[in-house]
Amino acid sequence: MSEGTVKATFDIYRFEPGVDSAPRYDRYVLDLPPHTPVLTALLKIRAEVDPSLSVRYSCRSAICGSCAMQINSKSRLACEAAIGPELARDGRIVIEPMRNQPVLRDLVVDQESFWRNYGKIQPHLILDPRHPMPEGRENPMTPAEVDRFKETPRCIACAACYSACPAVEADPEFPGPMALAKLYRFVVDPRDQGHQDRLVRIQTEGLWLCLRCHLCTEACPKDVRPSERIRDLKEMAIAAQGATEHGSKHAVGFKDNIRDRGLLNEMKLARQTMGVVGTVGQLPQGLKIWRKKPEILRAPHVIEGQEQVEKIYEALDDHKTPEDLP
Amino acid sequence: MLKHEVVVVGAGLAGQRAALAAVEAGRDVALFSKIHPLRSHSGAAQGGINAAVGKEDSVDTHIYDTVKGSDYLGDQDAIEFFCREAGPTVVQMEHFGTIFNRGADGSLARRPFGGAGFPRTIYAADRTGLALLQALWERLGTERFALYDEWDLTSLIVRDGRVQGIVAFDRRKGDFAQIGAKAVVMATGPFGRVYGRTTNAHSCTGDGVAAAYAVGAALKDMEFVQFHPTALVESGILITEGARGEGGILKNALGERFMGKYAPHVFDLASRDVVSRAIVTEVLEGRGFPGGYVHLELMHLGKEKVESRLHEICDFARNFAGIDPVTQPIPVFPAQHYMMGGIGTDIHGATSLPGLFAAGEAACVSIHGANRLGGNSLLETLVFGKEAGIAAAAYAASAPAPVLAEGDLDVATAPIRAWSNRTDGEDPSALRTEMQRVMDQYVGIYRNEADLLEGVRRIRELKKRLTQIRVVDRSKVYNVNLTDALEVGHMLHLAEVIVVGAYARTESRGAHARRDYPARDDARWMKHTLAVRGADGPQLSYSPVAYTRWEPKERVY
Repeated sequence: MSEGTVKATFDIYRFEPGVDSAPRYDRYVLDLPPHTPVLTALLKIRAEVDPSLSVRYSCRSAICGSCAMQINSKSRLACEAAIGPELARDGRIVIEPMRNQPVLRDLVVDQESFWRNYGKIQPHLILDPRHPMPEGRENPMTPAEVDRFKETPRCIACAACYSACPAVEADPEFPGPMALAKLYRFVVDPRDQGHQDRLVRIQTEGLWLCLRCHLCTEACPKDVRPSERIRDLKEMAIAAQGATEHGSKHAVGFKDNIRDRGLLNEMKLARQTMGVVGTVGQLPQGLKIWRKKPEILRAPHVIEGQEQVEKIYEALDDHKTPEDLP
Repeated sequence: MLKHEVVVVGAGLAGQRAALAAVEAGRDVALFSKIHPLRSHSGAAQGGINAAVGKEDSVDTHIYDTVKGSDYLGDQDAIEFFCREAGPTVVQMEHFGTIFNRGADGSLARRPFGGAGFPRTIYAADRTGLALLQALWERLGTERFALYDEWDLTSLIVRDGRVQGIVAFDRRKGDFAQIGAKAVVMATGPFGRVYGRTTNAHSCTGDGVAAAYAVGAALKDMEFVQFHPTALVESGILITEGARGEGGILKNALGERFMGKYAPHVFDLASRDVVSRAIVTEVLEGRGFPGGYVHLELMHLGKEKVESRLHEICDFARNFAGIDPVTQPIPVFPAQHYMMGGIGTDIHGATSLPGLFAAGEAACVSIHGANRLGGNSLLETLVFGKEAGIAAAAYAASAPAPVLAEGDLDVATAPIRAWSNRTDGEDPSALRTEMQRVMDQYVGIYRNEADLLEGVRRIRELKKRLTQIRVVDRSKVYNVNLTDALEVGHMLHLAEVIVVGAYARTESRGAHARRDYPARDDARWMKHTLAVRGADGPQLSYSPVAYTRWEPKERVY
């Protein structure tokens, strides 16, 4: 199990707000085996070079969620990221605190907004006295019902998804991928009595702010796939309440546009999403687009082979996968 | 000055369960933890939680297995209470929202575990601790209480012979504070980081146990240290017993399934102390792989079973050892895993100090005796966390208000502030590393008089150096250097109690294996060790083991 060492260069973000005038990067060079986790390297730096480097960590086995940080610009758990591949790709390892949370000091961020957003989705079973828990025994739950939770029970609240999410950056009211994945976990729980209320509430409390960029799913060290669960929530919310919000109207309008014509009619989509009055409010933006892309005002037409598109929709409605299509 | 009726220190399963019980009893509760509650080490528990709920199983069998597993050092009255509470406890956690694996009929699925007569370990894949921790935190979140997360415990306040509060350190702001309390519950978990090779998180430094010991509480059975048979060779990261419960087998370098020699009836599912000694013996007798380890094979279980039931294990092995358990054996060797010892309590969590209660791995009731069975620790946190919370709430309901003096804070924190004011001295991590080497080398799985004497001598030398350490970091915000110093200060005292207790106990029982005294000696040693802090280290005394129905027998698996 022995192997050689490599010269590893770490450029580590150092900053104490209110004390330091600006962040700086301190460079540390260590000889380490390439499979060394970044956290192990950071603890070695703390023990042997600079004990003042501030880091949050605990389990070192990717289960406590403490040590998420930016490693070469990706939100990752430091205990899980080996230095070898990072060095091979970038030649050095730049370590910075997570994004979308204010820096407390060095690599430690203030997680107050992350926990507050998690709290907003009512992360507990909502009970109804009309449906009491069975006395003295467990609620029955089939293995198929357990499977509906998907990967969400694996979440360790490390906030890597929160750090990677552009919607969190754009809107502090967006609950973030972890909170929404957690919401999904309660919505599919057969013991929870608040499904319908949860779905109705989240339509106006951030669900449609998700940009569908999937950066959360890419960042998640536990394969929780928050963006896929957000997609599920959107489908369930529309099924529960219909398209009531800009976001859901946009999604439904988009879908109908493509089915009916095989291509997008931006004018119609704007009207479907925001209504006539809302669309009028968007005129300055529309003019800007028109200058660059005059064809948006051209009379809408139906593409050749539109009936093929309709067949795809029918197949999707029957829950077929692309491989099933002729 | 901050004041609460009940202060719970530690927010893993035991602390959260104690807090919930005390809140339900109507008390004003504060929950202190040095990490966020969802980051507690309870979440690292993988395999499961025991409850004899199967039709073929019985509470009596669970009691018997636990008594036998304890090598007859567990208190049988406490074990009876504990096993009777198991079913209702697991059902309550299911009602709180825990997502357990299920059988085809919708009931709680169970897997076999070491030292158990029936499959009675209820589980959530291989992340049962995390599943319980999430559900309990979510349940507790519906109640009103004060959370102080990322606060380090520095000491307990004792006045007029009873505990009246704590001194703690706010990591994010960098201030020390006294917090008045009518009752304090210690639920700070284990202190496995006294060892270098451990499955424990970095946070497992026994702060609450050390603080209780410092003010005169008796620590019980500290020499009994469990080594988990299967940890990854290099990192010490845990590979759950559930891996063997699902059918995994151990093999030596000759390709032999060696456990048959040590446990002819149950092979790989013997009690943890037995399997750990077997692995060490194989390696010492030259049948290990080069570098000193054995193989844990899961390949024959098939990809589907391994990846669904042991998902985290696959991740661990792939990420931390570069091994794919679906196609390759996992190199494993024992690592420190669990502390049977802790703050001595009765079954209601009461300690030898009025106003101080303890639960979970920080406590010693004792139900695990000389060796804990897998699946019993998660259960312990919940059963006795609840008991301690109820007892602390009842005590607080009639206790007088705490009386604290402002000036006491300066006195209590002077030695700590002295570390920061020094201009020379050692970094706390240097002491920690040396302590861990000493414990790994001299106080491991097999022990003998010469090693233990050397261990005591070296730990006492390190204790002397404690006043000479220097905290270089002068920042007020998230000063991990200062936390390191506090933790190593706590751990050195606990390491000393472990070694002194192990030196004194001239027999082999459960996890305490003396080469020079290889037999169990019921006539002289069927008793608990109690350690109280004296001027020059621990003063030992002994107390009887409680019996009900089970006569000591030779322990064969």
